Amino acid sequence: MVNQKGQFKIQQMAFMLIAVIVFFALVGIFVLAFRLSSIKETANLLEEQNAMLLVSKLSNSPEFSCENSFGGTRVNCVDFDKVIVLKQDISRYRNFWGVSNIEIRKAVGSGEEVLCSLSNYPNCNTLRLLENSSQGYDYSNFIALCWKENNEGNIGNKCEVAKLIIRYKEKI
Amino acid sequence: MKIKGLNKRAQEEMVGFAMIIIIVAVIMLILLGIALNKPKTNALQSYEVESFVSASLQHTTGCSTDTGRSYNDVANLITECDFEQVCTDGRTACDVLSSELGDILEGSWRPGQDSPIKGYVFNITADDNNILSLSKGNETSNYKAGLQPLQKKGTAYNIEFRVYY
Repeated sequence: MVNQKGQFKIQQMAFMLIAVIVFFALVGIFVLAFRLSSIKETANLLEEQNAMLLVSKLSNSPEFSCENSFGGTRVNCVDFDKVIVLKQDISRYRNFWGVSNIEIRKAVGSGEEVLCSLSNYPNCNTLRLLENSSQGYDYSNFIALCWKENNEGNIGNKCEVAKLIIRYKEKI
Repeated sequence: MKIKGLNKRAQEEMVGFAMIIIIVAVIMLILLGIALNKPKTNALQSYEVESFVSASLQHTTGCSTDTGRSYNDVANLITECDFEQVCTDGRTACDVLSSELGDILEGSWRPGQDSPIKGYVFNITADDNNILSLSKGNETSNYKAGLQPLQKKGTAYNIEFRVYY
């Protein structure tokens, strides 16, 4: 009788211990998941801020900027002639800016996408400089896209409003 | 008899404890789900509006006022419009300015009920006189604005662009 009572008490204690362990394990998982998600969030936030700054400074970097080619110093101006040549040698710049995609899209024009290449330049509306099929977030900024145009013997400047879009990879 | 009573009480305690564990676990899972599924906000950035104004002023228009040798950019065309000039092709500078700026705005910002952009207003003023005003969509209490002063031919122009979201 006493033995049976003791066995029952041990069984009760064992169930209690299992339940307490399960409870603390759940609390532990929750805390861990919360901490991991905040680390991930911080990493993504830093990446986003970096991307935002990058999209603003990219158009003024030597590889993209108009500098003095189109009369005076222009802000947020991208030299289309320079960029189309850069595209031919883009493999050397693959990891240079730390982003997965760089695209320039003209704002005005028909909705149909015409990808830029040396054969149809400048009669196109989308230039994909860096292309990766990775998932991520896009950041864009407006730029003046300028190039030299031959107008019946006169070499003139032509500028259009465009969007410079960059994509950075999302941290897993 | 005593054992039977104890057994029943212990069973009730265990059921109660198990229920508490289940309830806590469910609450934790719900909180975890909410914490991990925070929606990503894609609010409009003020640098986008400012850079749009700067870029649109550099846009080359189809209006030449020197018999086709060169074409005015938007910044020059604002002055030509203020002085009521006529382009080589016969159109007035103000018509070209309005039409080309309208196309740029249309291509760059698409306001609508389903869009994060609800509307925009683009104003060009010279010494408080309105030169051109273009708008579309609704004006809400949230907006980002870009203001750019322009000094040409002794006149101070102000270009103000507001995007409502």
